[in-house]
Amino acid sequence: MPCENEPVLKVTDVEFGYKDEKTLKGISFEINKGEFVALMGPNGSGKTTMMRCINRIMRIDGGRIEIDGQDVSGLTMQEISRICTTVPADTALDFSLTVRDYVSLGRSPYIKTIWWEDEEDERMIAEAMWDLGVANYANRRLQELSSGERARVLLAKGIVQTPKVLLVDEPSAHLDIKYKVQIMEILRELSRRGLTILIASHDINLLTRFCDRILLLSKGRILDYGAPKDVVTESSIEEVFDIKVKIVEEGGTIYVLPTGSTGYASGP
Amino acid sequence: MDDQTKLKDEVMGRIVGSKRIRRRALCIIAAGLASIVVLYILSLTLGAYRIPFEEALEQMVEIIVTGGNPEDMSGRIIYNLRMPRELAVIMVGAGLAVAGAVMQALIHNPLVDPYITGVSSGASLGVMIMTISGLVTTSITTMWMIPAAGIVGAVIAFTLTMVVAEAAGGKAMSYVLGGTVIGMGLSAGTTLIMSFNANHLANISSWMFGSFANIEWSETMLITIPVAVIIGIILFNARNLNTMLLGEDQAMYLGMDSRRFKRNMLILIAVLTAFCVSFCGVIGFIGLIVPHLCRMVVGGDNRVLLPTSMIVGPVVLMLADVFCRSFTVSELPIGAIISVIGVPFFVYLMVKEGKRYAM
Repeated sequence: MPCENEPVLKVTDVEFGYKDEKTLKGISFEINKGEFVALMGPNGSGKTTMMRCINRIMRIDGGRIEIDGQDVSGLTMQEISRICTTVPADTALDFSLTVRDYVSLGRSPYIKTIWWEDEEDERMIAEAMWDLGVANYANRRLQELSSGERARVLLAKGIVQTPKVLLVDEPSAHLDIKYKVQIMEILRELSRRGLTILIASHDINLLTRFCDRILLLSKGRILDYGAPKDVVTESSIEEVFDIKVKIVEEGGTIYVLPTGSTGYASGP
Repeated sequence: MDDQTKLKDEVMGRIVGSKRIRRRALCIIAAGLASIVVLYILSLTLGAYRIPFEEALEQMVEIIVTGGNPEDMSGRIIYNLRMPRELAVIMVGAGLAVAGAVMQALIHNPLVDPYITGVSSGASLGVMIMTISGLVTTSITTMWMIPAAGIVGAVIAFTLTMVVAEAAGGKAMSYVLGGTVIGMGLSAGTTLIMSFNANHLANISSWMFGSFANIEWSETMLITIPVAVIIGIILFNARNLNTMLLGEDQAMYLGMDSRRFKRNMLILIAVLTAFCVSFCGVIGFIGLIVPHLCRMVVGGDNRVLLPTSMIVGPVVLMLADVFCRSFTVSELPIGAIISVIGVPFFVYLMVKEGKRYAM
């Protein structure tokens, strides 16, 4: 369970974008060590921009982002890559990389040798592949795997990078329901072991079921931040996503059912 | 639980100890090196004046041991004409193959090579203008101006292609079309200049189809040294090139300044290409065919792929060269022979892989 009072990620008054069209406006929040937090919001609400700013692929125009007590604006790319990384939704498949080739790239920020990984790196790579159940595919090429298997390979690369904060962008976009749950279970387990995770996803029901806290984002502002039951209410979802929903509770978890219509057609 | 631990140990041992692909690559490299040696000696025997294999071998060993300048006729032909020429073939084969492999990794597109992206045409135009200008004589003190002009042309052509392709959306086809159009424009420029300088025509046309016929030691050295240095730098960056395969964003997540790396590498590739085509002319498709063949066998890891391409490139080009010189008294243009193989190969790739690359 998350340890209190130990913010690993601290975002203070972050602004991004030009005056009239700011993508992020005065964003402040903290995530403690080992917490599993969801970034929830409609398309264009600033989720991806937020993540790119934290990983400093984009530079913020105001405010401050600290990871593990260090201001990211003062770090080199390599220093950042040792404390924070992003697991993308999918990856390019054109170049016949094997699972093992791909996962081993996660050690790049630490590499000491010029050519091959050393024994210790190899062991970490193997360990991560085993942990995520992809060890048996080590020599298969990425494009030969199913989406579910590939999603775990992408995570394995993130893990061998041994970050303090793992950002996960739409991990389950192309997955069927079983693998969506599996990815969330893996992330849940990783956070139990002490990894701090921020995930952006549209699967509201999986986020409410697995995450410790939810950060509700709308038009570049934080609307609410707290436990799923407090943040995800019929009125908050209706306000942010502009559709009527019903919240039901089942075994201590809440689920969101879309009952309204967008008014596009008469529909069912 | 015990079974689980045992299974884990076994799987882990297999992963940590697995060097299958590296062993396969080592075999290819060893076989390639052996083929290069055999083809090298074989090519010393070929030409208007035929020299038996054993004699060629003896002469070559003697030249290497004594440091050159033999007295007799066959020795002089081997030393002055055939040895430098064939060394140039090796270096150009290696250079173009590596340039193609790196370009494919950086642009994320398996259908590009120095020829298709217009780089070769740009280098040609630069070289052509320099040749006709009359500034260059056969002495080494002015000869460096030829590759220098080639480099300028190559970098300009490549920049134009990149600008056009990125402006058109940066899809796989944008680079192919952009490069083709820029290449056509530059080739047209070359043709126009040629037609105004008919007295240079014979010299230039053999060069335009790609030919190693007039290569001597001074030219060979101007190819060999820079090509070797640049390939060395590229091999040193093989791991970073792997990271680039994931795309600019993912490379940044891994701590790389990917935009700067990409720009520097692309310039390096343009320069490498320019040195390759400066003296022997335009030889297309080597940079396309060789990395593809190698990737099929050893996979996409650049630490394996680049050394393999570097060895297979010369083998392919030497085979083509031997072929060109085996049938007729006046040799066939090697650039045309490579294109005869390259065009169907490219069409095959387009048809087979086209959908996957949104063309």
